[in-house]
This record gives sequence, structure tokens and C-alpha cells, in this order.
Amino acid sequence: HWTCPGLPSPPRPICDLRVLNHFIQEARDAEVAMKSCRDGCGLTELVSVPQTTVNFDDWERKNATEQAQEVQTGLWLLHQALGLLQASMTDVDLNNHIDNSIRNLLSINAVLRSLNIQEYTPPTSAVGLEGTWKVSSVAEVLQVHVNFLRGKVRLLLVGAEACQQDVS
Amino acid sequence: MTRDQHRRLVAVYLVCCVMGTVSTAQRAQDFQRKASMLLAAEPENPKCFAEGRKAFTCFWEEDEERAGPVEQYSFTYAYQNENGSRCPLTVAPAAGGKKLFVCHLDRIQMFVQLDIQVHRESVMIHNRSLLVELVFLLDPPENVTVSSTGHQGQLNVSWVPPPLKYMDDSMIYEVMYAKEGDPAGQVEVARACSELILRGLQAATRYRVEVRVRLDGITYSGYWSAWSDPVWMETLPADLDPLIVSLTFIITFILFLLCLIVLLSHHRFFIKKVWPTIPVPDSKFQGLFTVYGGDLQEWLRQTSGGLWVTSALLYSEERPSPVEVLSELNLCRSLASPPLPPKACNASTQRDERELSNGSDSAQTDEWRATQQQHWLMERLRETRPGMGSSLLESQDTYVTLSTNNHSEEDHVDDTLEEALPLEMHVASRKTPLSEFHSDLGSGQQSSGSGRLSSQSSFEYPSQGWTPKGPGYTYMAVADSGVSMDYSPMSRVDDLGKVALYANEYKNEIPPHRRPFLTRQYHVHDDG
Repeated sequence: HWTCPGLPSPPRPICDLRVLNHFIQEARDAEVAMKSCRDGCGLTELVSVPQTTVNFDDWERKNATEQAQEVQTGLWLLHQALGLLQASMTDVDLNNHIDNSIRNLLSINAVLRSLNIQEYTPPTSAVGLEGTWKVSSVAEVLQVHVNFLRGKVRLLLVGAEACQQDVS
Repeated sequence: MTRDQHRRLVAVYLVCCVMGTVSTAQRAQDFQRKASMLLAAEPENPKCFAEGRKAFTCFWEEDEERAGPVEQYSFTYAYQNENGSRCPLTVAPAAGGKKLFVCHLDRIQMFVQLDIQVHRESVMIHNRSLLVELVFLLDPPENVTVSSTGHQGQLNVSWVPPPLKYMDDSMIYEVMYAKEGDPAGQVEVARACSELILRGLQAATRYRVEVRVRLDGITYSGYWSAWSDPVWMETLPADLDPLIVSLTFIITFILFLLCLIVLLSHHRFFIKKVWPTIPVPDSKFQGLFTVYGGDLQEWLRQTSGGLWVTSALLYSEERPSPVEVLSELNLCRSLASPPLPPKACNASTQRDERELSNGSDSAQTDEWRATQQQHWLMERLRETRPGMGSSLLESQDTYVTLSTNNHSEEDHVDDTLEEALPLEMHVASRKTPLSEFHSDLGSGQQSSGSGRLSSQSSFEYPSQGWTPKGPGYTYMAVADSGVSMDYSPMSRVDDLGKVALYANEYKNEIPPHRRPFLTRQYHVHDDG
């Protein structure tokens, strides 16, 4: 399949965690910028965000597919939440950070694709999804964004099979 | 259960108890050390730290006097969006009359906010929110090893990272190294690795190396661990820089070539300095040394010594050196003979004494011959050097007077080469009295066997002018030919028995068969 002419070659696996570290740093910058926001930086409705809690024993009990689905669901939820913030925020500086964060989420999806992790899109309705929280402030959304990247997303990349083969 | 099985179980139980006790004691000691570090590093209360993926500890400190029983305190914690829980407290002693209240959790969650509250009798005394993955306090690296890399000024440091899954690439290390005796030191940072090469170290120096670890703060964070136990290692000794060695050789070679060139270009000068030629009278006194063993008297007796010397003097193409023979009778009557130098040597040999005693018997018979010879000499000298007689008296040259004793005043002109009689040599110079004359032997062909000649000769004389010494003196002006001689005071004939003849001591090492011959008046050509 991959040898047929005209078809693109599979992307090289992106196993360097410095890429994710860069996204994490920018997410932190957005969280810090939020603390200085006074006006035009509030949510009008509750938004669903992924749970960021990580227990290593519980995480290791899940298989790779479950882990990948949990991470991709969370990334989807964050994308939705940041989209709502982008629409409601009037602070220019904070809006720039949110725009940057949304682009980083798309880049993370590209990294997951490079690791041959099967794409997963959760149901359109996030209501009732397990492993979600409801938050009412922009600060909480950005905090969840940072913690999710540092936790589950990173664990998924560190444990990706493609990266394990690359190391060995 | 048999008795043996029972005994084994008891033994295993005891071992486990002992090991548990040791482990507990070790853990307690580790906790005390970490608690002391956090008390200094963390301002908030309670102070909390994670040791791994599961262990999490919080504590606070209170004075023993003001602290109540542990039952008065409650430690509650709640993760975000979860219900709160209570942590059982324990008490640990602390230094300085304080006590620690400790909460230890075995199940923790990361990447989620943790809210902690401490109450004492329903009154909240401490409140803190934190993220567990950001308060790691790890154990120091283990198995720190320091070895030589094989290169000068380098040491290879390696260690075993703390065994934390998922966190290896988030660890940073500080390697502290210091010379022996230096309390401070330098620190090198290493990221996500377990080995580091220290460079720029001093050669042949003993270094102390310690390592500590911390999480990098991007995903995980925390406090610096304690320093590992110090490891000592000495660096390799300094090697010679090949460039310096090669330059040294080149410079040495160039200097050697320059010295060689100088030596070759001035080889004659150096040869003259090192091996000066010694004028030897062999050519002028044929057979004196080879046949007669340096016995001048015998030589003169057997040969026509005087005539031969004279002919050699007159007919030699060589110009006589300023050694001039003066006859006191005609020319030197008004000339005061210089006194003998104070350094007159009375040394003599017994053989000389015997010769003198034998010679004195024939002194009278040889008088007539000496007189004739003297006249003839004076005539010849006048021919070769007109005006020499009077001019000689006015000469500024150093001159030696040879005199024969036992002559009357009017006969002192007959004093010449008296074989049997001792001669007195007076040395004087009108030029610079009371000074030593030093002269080099000069260049010339060196005779064999005189390789260790002195390059100096000295003439000492006590007074400025001549003083009459009495009759019978024949004066001879002697140019310094480089032969040093000791001049003994003149011994009269009648004193022969009492005073030994002066002996000419040569500073030069003349072969044994050549004895000193300057016991008579003679002409010496300076062949220099």
C-alpha cells in the first residue's frame, strides 16, 4: 500500500518531547496572561473540559487504545472550550494566547497521527461523557488545558509504541 | 507442623522483623533529613513533598511547649471536583525542642489541584493548594562513579538516576566538583542523562565530586535533592605538550649550531686558550734533555754549549726576544742591581747542593772561560743591537740579572756562565715597580707533555730601582716567556754550604726527564 506511486509516505514519528514541552510552555503563558485580565475575560456558560487527574496505576491498567481515546476526547473537548473562549473574549492579548493554544491542539493531533495512533472523534454531544468536568471560568479552562497536556497527553506520547521502537 | 518448620518460620519472622526495623529506622532517618531540607526551603505550611509516583508526605512543625496532643489536630485534603478525605497524623521529634506532625499518603493523584487544610480543635491553622507533580523531593543519585577519561584535565562522572518511570527525561542534575581543600567548588548541569565529563581540570589534582537531582519544572517539578556522598578522584598528571617539546628541541638545536659555528670560526683562539704552546728550548739545546737529562752543566761540559747557544742566537733567523745579557763590569757598574724579590725561594734539591759543592772546586778553573765568553757575548750583542749596551740600561723591559758569586768587584765582568757557581737572578723593571707581571704563554706550537701549563708567570720585586748587589753580577734582561719561576735569593759561594741553591720551580708540568735548567745565564728565544 505504501509503495504505490502517488501516495504520500507515512509521517515520521514525532517522539521528541520538546515539541510537547513547547506547547505546555505556551499554555502556561496563556494561564499567566489570564491572571492579569480584568475585563472581557469571563465565560457566559458552563463548558465541558476533560479531567486531568492521573493515577499511574490506573493509567497503566488501561490499554493503548483506551489511553489514545481518552486523550483524543480530551483534546476535542479542549478545542471546543477554547473555541467558546475565543468567541466571547474581548481582551486582545488573551485572545492571541487562545488562538495560539487552539493551533497547538491541532499540532498535537498531528503528532498523534505521526505516532500511528488511530484517530478518534468523540460524539458530538459532550453531555454525559465520562471523564469530563464542568467549569465556569476562563481560568479554570486554561488550567485544565495546561494540566491535560502535562499529564495524559504526555503519558500517551511517552508510552507510544512508535517511540518505543525508535528508542530500541 | 514439624518442629523444624516451626523453627524456620520463627527465624524468618525474626529476620523480617529485623529488616523491617532497619528499614523503618532508615526511612525515619531519610525523613528527618528531607524534613530539615524542606523546613529551610519551603515557606508555606504544611510542607509537602512527593518521593515517587505514589508516596506523598506533608508535615508541619510546632514547639513542644505550645503543641497539643496529636488528637487535637486534623489533616484534610480534597482533589479538584472530589470530596475531601482525612489523613491520619503521626508525631516525630525534631531538633531544637520542636515536634513534627506528619501526614503520609500512599495513593496520590497528579495533574490535579489538591486542597489541604489543617485544623486544631476545629480551628484552621494551615491551608494550602498544590499540584503533587510539582513538589517532588527525590533521593540523591546513587552509585556515583568518577573515572578518568584518559585525557589530561578530564574526569568522567556517572550515576544511577532515581528509578521514576515517565520522569527520566524530566530530570536535571547538578555535578559539583572541588579540589581537595577547597570548600567551594564549581557546578556543572546535566539534563536528562546519567553521565557527564568534567573538563578543564588541573592535572594531578585530587577532586571531590557530588551529584544532586531535581525535576526540570516543565511537566514535573520540585526541590533539589540532597548531595550524594562525595567521591574522590585524582586527575592524570600533566603531559608534555608536544608543541612545547618540539619547539624546545628546535631551539636547542639552533643554539647548538650557533655555538658550533662560533667555535669553528674561532677555533684557533680557543685552541690557544685551552692548549697554549709551551716554548721549549729543545731545538736550541739539542740533546740537553734527551741525552743529558736536563743537566745543563753536563751539557755545557760535553758540548760547546756556550758557543752553540751563541751561534744559535746569532745565526738564527729568529730575532732574539728581549732577553738581553748585560755585563755588569762594563756597563752596569753604575747600575744598581735590583734586589732579589722578597719571594725568594730557598728551595733546592740535594742534588743541586751536591753539584754546587762539586762545582765550587772547579770554580776557579772556569773563571777564565766565563770571562772570555762574556766578552764575546757583549760584542755579539752590540753587533746585533747597536747601542744595546747603554740602551739596555735604560730599557724599560723587565730584566733578570744573573750573577755568579765569589767575584771581586773588578772582576764581576767575568761573571758569566759559571757552571759550577750558583747564579743569582735579579728581576727588576723600571716601568712598574712592585707589580706582578703576568703574561700568557702566547701562541705557538706546544711541545709535547706540557698540556697543563700555567698561563701565568709572575715576577715580583720589591723596590723601584736598582740597588747594588755587589760584585759579580751579570745582568740579563729577560722577557716574560711565560715560564714562571721562583727566584731565590742569591747565595754566595761561601754560603753554598749553608743555603741551598734556588730552584726554579715550574708551574708548568715538564716531563720528569726534563729538569729545570735555568741555573745559568742563558739566552732564551721566545718562540711565541
